[in-house]
Amino acid sequence: MSKESRMRATINQKLTEMGERERLKEILRAKLTECGWKDQMKAHCKEVIKEKGLEHVTVEDLMVEITPKGRALVPDSVKKELLHRIRAFLSQHAT
Amino acid sequence: MKMEEVSMSSLDNSKLEGLAQDILSDLVEDACLGLCFEVHRAVKQGYFFLDDTDQESMRDFEIVDQPGLDVFGQVYNQWKNKECVCPNCSRSIAASRFAPHLEKCLGMGRNSSRIANRRIVTGNNTNNKSESDQEDNDDVNDNDWSYGAEKKAKKRKSEKNPNSPRRSKSFKHKSRPAQAFMGP
Repeated sequence: MSKESRMRATINQKLTEMGERERLKEILRAKLTECGWKDQMKAHCKEVIKEKGLEHVTVEDLMVEITPKGRALVPDSVKKELLHRIRAFLSQHAT
Repeated sequence: MKMEEVSMSSLDNSKLEGLAQDILSDLVEDACLGLCFEVHRAVKQGYFFLDDTDQESMRDFEIVDQPGLDVFGQVYNQWKNKECVCPNCSRSIAASRFAPHLEKCLGMGRNSSRIANRRIVTGNNTNNKSESDQEDNDDVNDNDWSYGAEKKAKKRKSEKNPNSPRRSKSFKHKSRPAQAFMGP
């Protein structure tokens, strides 16, 4: 394992163990709801479901439709805030 | 040597930045998947479309976004400048001041009875009239000088249930401002 991937693994482990990953998840979820991203995505889901039919829609269908659009629609301010927190964590815990 | 160190640390920085971006990417993906599962469950359990009504109703009740109107489409400052005639004193009062004016004018409402009580009390201070027949406490009768305002406070509290556990607590709170009111 290279030095870099070892460092990544350590950081990821610390993120989870210290509860920071959970916190970040919650913060992200809250911000996405606040800024209307969730409602936007739900509206898109409605269209997908109407297209595929209520009975036949699968998780995979939704994932394929939602994930790329969801990534693109995250507002920059939310990304900035999350990155700020992540960088703060890294500067504290990366050797 | 120093040049190498600088470039090494900037390499680390770019790696850290890359790592931060990856972590963000993971978090966003997690949020998306969470949404997918939530929606899928709602669809299969049958409550996804529950808050939708037919198209016509949705258009009827759509949020209004025009100047001068609230979200229901009503004009919201229509009564700001209107004036009403008081049925008691026949004065013309501004609409926003009408309710408080009526309260005082008719002698009803919380504040009017307080003001009236206070006037009675300041009238009684010079007379030193005893209101002890309404009191449950012996303390009041032992006072040589009248705690006029405190009597007012005590008189109110005695109307409540004497066995209520809150009584003594609020009683203490009430007597403090009353004593401040009395002055030297």
